[in-house]
Amino acid sequence: MSNALAELAEGKIDFVGQNLVDQIAKVTLVAGGVISFVAGFALQDLRVTFSLYGAIVVLLALVVLPPWPMYNRHPVKWLPMAAPPS
Amino acid sequence: MHSIFARINNTSALLSSCMMALLAAIALSTLVFTARPEGNVSVASVQVYSGNTRRYATKRQDLAFVDFNITADFAPLFNWNTKQIFLYLQAEYNTTTGIKNEAVIWDRIIRRKEEANVNVIGKNKYNLRDLSTNFKNAPPASYSLKYNIMPYVGALTYGEAARTSEPVAFPPRKTRV
Repeated sequence: MSNALAELAEGKIDFVGQNLVDQIAKVTLVAGGVISFVAGFALQDLRVTFSLYGAIVVLLALVVLPPWPMYNRHPVKWLPMAAPPS
Repeated sequence: MHSIFARINNTSALLSSCMMALLAAIALSTLVFTARPEGNVSVASVQVYSGNTRRYATKRQDLAFVDFNITADFAPLFNWNTKQIFLYLQAEYNTTTGIKNEAVIWDRIIRRKEEANVNVIGKNKYNLRDLSTNFKNAPPASYSLKYNIMPYVGALTYGEAARTSEPVAFPPRKTRV
């Protein structure tokens, strides 16, 4: 029981998933910044910029932080246990 | 990125860098706006009385009272990065020894574009007095309306909106109203 809870809190994802998370975060934050700036500048309202960016960041957190199953599609293939040297 | 904590750590670091770049972009975007509003300042009258101020109530000195008329429109200065505009009316004159005196006698803070049209017929808010406690040797003063744009992000910028067309002299002192 406590093992399952600890695993849930850790939120482990495999390496391919980590790479994917990294890419998603980079693209979203930079593109989101550009889009928020352009939207705010066009409407001449600073609140538009920051509320749009805030919404993008919250969505990113929902996509990237929890250990979704799509990040665990390529688990590490461990070698079989070798016989201990006697 | 192996655990939730590691992902929070990495994404928040990237977020703060992006945020800094965004703020820098907002500050630089202000350079695009180059409005220079012009207005009008005229002084209706200047009167000099002998009086004292509240700080040292027994120190008699000359106090000048200025009635002025200001009209200006500061709406062009309001863009997305303008937090507020600080307006101030200055009396400027050089003493006989060549020292420049600039005294702010009136000011106002404008926070919204709707209240940016300024039409004030008023008198000085603050005491106008000379360091030598009298205006005997003070040459005629120019009154200038200046503004300070305070952005949300970026550098403070200053400008002058209006100036009296000719300097206005200080009359001789009167002892009673």
